[in-house]
Amino acid sequence: MPLLSVSHLSLTLNAQQILKNVTFSVDQGEVVGLIGPNGSGKTTLFNVLSGFLKPTDGSIHLRDADITSVSPAQRAKLGIGRVFQNFGIFREMTLEENVLVALEALPKEQRMLLGNIKDVVKGTLDMVGLSQHAKKKAGSLSGGQMRLLEIARTLKSGKELFLLDEPTAGVSPKMTKQVAELIAELKKEGKTVLIIEHDLPFISQICDRVMVLDLGEVVLNGKPKEIKHDKKLQEIYFGADPTA
Amino acid sequence: MQLLINGLVAGSLAALMAGGLSLVYGVLGIFNLALGQLALVGGMTTWWLHQQMELPLMVSILGGLFVGGIVTWLTFEIAVAPFYRRDRFLPLVTTIAWSMILDALILLGFQEYPRSILTGSKHYVEMGSARFSLEQVCLVAATLIFVSGVAWMLHSTSFGRKIRATVQHADAARSLGISSSLLHRIVFIASGVLAACGGIYVGIDQNISPTLAFPITIKAYAALIAGGKDNFWGTIAAAYLIAMIEQLAVGTPWFFGQYISAGYQSSIALIFIIGVLLIRPSGLFSRTARTA
Repeated sequence: MPLLSVSHLSLTLNAQQILKNVTFSVDQGEVVGLIGPNGSGKTTLFNVLSGFLKPTDGSIHLRDADITSVSPAQRAKLGIGRVFQNFGIFREMTLEENVLVALEALPKEQRMLLGNIKDVVKGTLDMVGLSQHAKKKAGSLSGGQMRLLEIARTLKSGKELFLLDEPTAGVSPKMTKQVAELIAELKKEGKTVLIIEHDLPFISQICDRVMVLDLGEVVLNGKPKEIKHDKKLQEIYFGADPTA
Repeated sequence: MQLLINGLVAGSLAALMAGGLSLVYGVLGIFNLALGQLALVGGMTTWWLHQQMELPLMVSILGGLFVGGIVTWLTFEIAVAPFYRRDRFLPLVTTIAWSMILDALILLGFQEYPRSILTGSKHYVEMGSARFSLEQVCLVAATLIFVSGVAWMLHSTSFGRKIRATVQHADAARSLGISSSLLHRIVFIASGVLAACGGIYVGIDQNISPTLAFPITIKAYAALIAGGKDNFWGTIAAAYLIAMIEQLAVGTPWFFGQYISAGYQSSIALIFIIGVLLIRPSGLFSRTARTA
């Protein structure tokens, strides 16, 4: 059974259809890229998957549980983690507090399994090489460091499915490499990742599968190598070849 | 000296009221315009329990806070919860409507007479040229204890961290599993209890009457807006600053030894808001990030 099943999902906002009959599934441990031009509905799809927008039609299942009408906080408790395009960190809180608040939001029984919470906080910051900044405010970090902190925090708070919205946007090449390593780490731990990206080489390098969204519809779905050379992808990004 | 003491007393009242508003704005992103009426509910209930039912003062205060909390909860369920997720500006209208209903009920129950929770003369202390009552000392101390308590709660408890996280990035907080509906209710009710506390403060220091709701609300909002809306510490600082400016404005001779009439004192908060908004539209103490 797939970890995530999306079936005939549609969303209409202000009389405009943003998502049209979107259907796909993601297996446990898969890393799936979601690409498409600006305005194709990628972030809106993430907002629907994480519960911030209610679909007009269709359903979302996490394993066999129907989560279509479940709140974002409840979805997080069920194991869906979100990394935001505009940095979902708490800038006026220290790095330690950023991790701590994520752990404290876990259900009690899950929190008890973690053991000493201070050790988990330290381990999380160590994992991304940020422990020397533990007492600093998160707003003082660089874009790449913020991204690493957000991914590490989501990872340690026991999520199963990661929705990463442009994790390399505004990040230096060195940090992009670190983000890629962290995603590889997630995959190694059997986590499932759905990732929005514009950087096609990055997507080809880390993803098992790529889906292309255009005008709210999934128009391509396959392995990165297949998608990369598909004529439709060129058309979406560069327009139809008038000589063809 | 006397002006500074008066400013400290008035500022403490505004800080109590506006501190709660700041948390509500930071966490829910809404304005509650029934705040003054919630203060009256706390003050009038305490007066009734102490003066009419002859219960001890502390029991009456606890009763006032309890009833204030219950009415705030009703305010949330009736005038806020059904609307604020659709549009965060809807509660502006619905809480005004609710405040009118509360005004009418308070007038029905208590008529338009000023009520004093403590009757008889107060215990005054003279220090140099300044004069203040022991009751005022207790009220200022209670406010400082409250502000310190909120500081401790925000920075040293799991609940406080969740509030700060929600203020700074509501969506990220929700996506970590922080349940917003429970948090919103608790913060809103806490702000109403603080307003009730403010009403009791007025009832002990001076008199409380149904006409006070509007000026109380305006002063609290002046501090909130001047302080930076969701910046808790900025709001507290602005509450004291406005109170000091009000006292200095009417207590200092201007224009060749002439004083500004005390009747204009309340207008100074409004003039202050306009001045601040012209110079710094986001408030005196606002930062780029939302803070708590």
